[in-house]
Amino acid sequence: MEATEEERLLLTQRLKAAVHYTVGCLCQDVAEDKDVQFTKQTIAAISEITFRQCDNFAKDLEMFARHAKRSTVTTEDVKLLARRSNSLLKYITQKSEELASSNMEQKEKKKKKSSAAKGGKIPGEQEAAVNESEDSNMA
Amino acid sequence: MLLMSRLLCNDGRYKFGTMCLCDFSLQNISGSGKDKNSGRSTLVKQRPAVFPDLDNDTPRNMLKRIIQTQPQVSPLALRISKHEETEGPVWELPAKRISNMGEMQLPDLVPEDASIATFRMTKKRRKISVSEFERAADERLPQNQARSTLDSSTALARSFSMSLGTVIPPDTVEKRGLLRRPKNRRAIDIEAFEGGVEQNMLKRKAQKYLVDSQTASEIQTTVLTSDVEIMLSNTELFVQPQFDDQSQNKLSVLEPQLLNSKTSAQRSKISDAAQEEARLVGTDTRRTPRNSENLILDHEHAGRMTPLSPGTPANQQEDKHSHSQQSNPMKQLSVSEEVAVGTAEHRANAGYSEDLEKTLREKGESQITAAQDARAEPEEGGIAEGSVEHPGSPKAEHEITRSVGGGSLDRHSHTSSSEKSGMKLLKEAVEQADELEDQAIKIELDGTEEGPTEDEAEDPESEGDSIKTPTFVRAVAYKPLLSTPHPAKPAAPKLSTPRPAKPAAARSPQQPLQANRVPKGSGVSRRKTSEPEIASSLIKKIFSHYVKMPVARDAFKIVQKCSEKYFMQLSNDLEAYIHHAGRKTVEMEDLEVLMRRQGLVTDKMPLHVLIERYFPLEYRKLLIPVAASGNSVIPSK
Repeated sequence: MEATEEERLLLTQRLKAAVHYTVGCLCQDVAEDKDVQFTKQTIAAISEITFRQCDNFAKDLEMFARHAKRSTVTTEDVKLLARRSNSLLKYITQKSEELASSNMEQKEKKKKKSSAAKGGKIPGEQEAAVNESEDSNMA
Repeated sequence: MLLMSRLLCNDGRYKFGTMCLCDFSLQNISGSGKDKNSGRSTLVKQRPAVFPDLDNDTPRNMLKRIIQTQPQVSPLALRISKHEETEGPVWELPAKRISNMGEMQLPDLVPEDASIATFRMTKKRRKISVSEFERAADERLPQNQARSTLDSSTALARSFSMSLGTVIPPDTVEKRGLLRRPKNRRAIDIEAFEGGVEQNMLKRKAQKYLVDSQTASEIQTTVLTSDVEIMLSNTELFVQPQFDDQSQNKLSVLEPQLLNSKTSAQRSKISDAAQEEARLVGTDTRRTPRNSENLILDHEHAGRMTPLSPGTPANQQEDKHSHSQQSNPMKQLSVSEEVAVGTAEHRANAGYSEDLEKTLREKGESQITAAQDARAEPEEGGIAEGSVEHPGSPKAEHEITRSVGGGSLDRHSHTSSSEKSGMKLLKEAVEQADELEDQAIKIELDGTEEGPTEDEAEDPESEGDSIKTPTFVRAVAYKPLLSTPHPAKPAAPKLSTPRPAKPAAARSPQQPLQANRVPKGSGVSRRKTSEPEIASSLIKKIFSHYVKMPVARDAFKIVQKCSEKYFMQLSNDLEAYIHHAGRKTVEMEDLEVLMRRQGLVTDKMPLHVLIERYFPLEYRKLLIPVAASGNSVIPSK
């Protein structure tokens, strides 16, 4: 029990560190862009906020999925989550549409290949599998 | 002595203490009395006639002169007799009084002087032949029958004079020093008095609309004529519909019933309005049926009514006749409208129309609140507040209660519906009035009505109920709205501006609402077409409660906008959640999702705990099933 707690703590710290690093990088880019400087405390605060907000997102997503009586979190849940901010919602909708269209294309290609050359199924399957795995990751 | 003091006071020349003069005056009077009466005894002093020498004259001499020259009243004698009385002189006194009443007029000063004299007498214990003194004094006294009644101040004498039919002021005191100035009591012109009261009330209303209505009403509550009490004695909650084609009696009957319905509702404003109306009965110079009409609205015009009485009676009569064909409630409404209109016409004064509206609103509001009480609606408090805030709503309520009085008992279903019908009635009344002014005023009232009706139309219930407006009301309201309301509309905003309580935010939807309603002038309520709003009064109330500080009106506007946006966003989110779950009805879980998103419900704070914490028992019972004995669960599933 304590071990798992410690592990959890360790994992959390690692995660926080990762977030902190990413936030630092982003802030650096913005500073270069806008010619503004970021203090370390600012970056630390931003990273802490981001971490907690991610926690909130996760809980909300789970709640949305349960609300729709599903056990999988889908893009619909994400879109619902993003409703808070109009611009974010638009962006996410755009991205999801792009993703959906690329998925469709992938599926069509897959079908063509499978129908065209059944012999080349294995490389096709592999390719499709790779594509699908990519898609799932992205989703 | 008292006489002396009195004379001095009247003259205003001398400001001597009355007491110190008593002795002198007494002596003088007795002396003078003695002079004229041979039978006089005791203190006798001939007073030499002296030219007025103001510089060297002693007060005594001056008083002597006054006594000789001024009308001589000697209540002293009477008082003396009372104090040193035996029964004989006392008996003599009233007899003498009576006899003297016919002969002489006693001045007003008599009682006071006598009282002071008596006081003095008691101190000094002068022994005088009272009866003789009296006789002498009475003979000399100027004749004043009215005053004679005030002479007898002792209880005994008073009783005698009372028994003998004389009028004795009830406030005569044993000690004449405390006696007030004798009052010239003439019959009070009730109408004039009430008119003055109404004017006073109007002025007060004009100054402070909302707050002072209550205070004024408090003041007015004390003023209750007998007619008012008679009229208010009927404690029927709702006036039974009477569809006879009018008789003025019906009107008069309905009016008091309306008043009674008002009073039966436990609202101060209602009682005030009723009392005001009741008072109007007295003020109205016309006959009681007239008065009943005027009761509704005249209290506002009371001040103006009296001057306008020659003009308005004809107007009102016309109105009455014109309405003869309508149903009673409509008649009442139209009559009241006409009356209001008539007075408004005559006055052509926006201020008065404002007063009219205010009073109407007050009444309507009180009536509406009464109706609401009858229905025991949960939103009562908010609506009542709203009615307080919105001048228009009282008018609507006013109309509504009329319709109620007219017999639409079915319409007690909902305030909003009643308001709607009231508004329809009002519109009808507007139609009947042909004056632009009147229309403007009525449009204004319509606007104000619409405002509150719109404000209170938030509930989906109200919308549903509004459809249920009784057919007869709808039929009545079906009269095509005159095109005149349109030109009157631009006047409405101007006229509506003086109304202080109307928030601008709430007002703006009214005019577009008017625009929506007028073309659709059928009796069917078009609440759905107009954008419903939350009662700004409700927002104000809640906000001011939590902020515990006075809030500026601009702040209220902004708060209202914020709350509007908040609730818009809230409902949109709910819609999205419902759609997400593939449903079309809002459920508890949707709201829980919403609250979780808001952060009110967390892993540590479940929804049920929030319900327990913030809801009253009635609501909690609805939301959280409660197990009762006998394996019953509330609410039953």
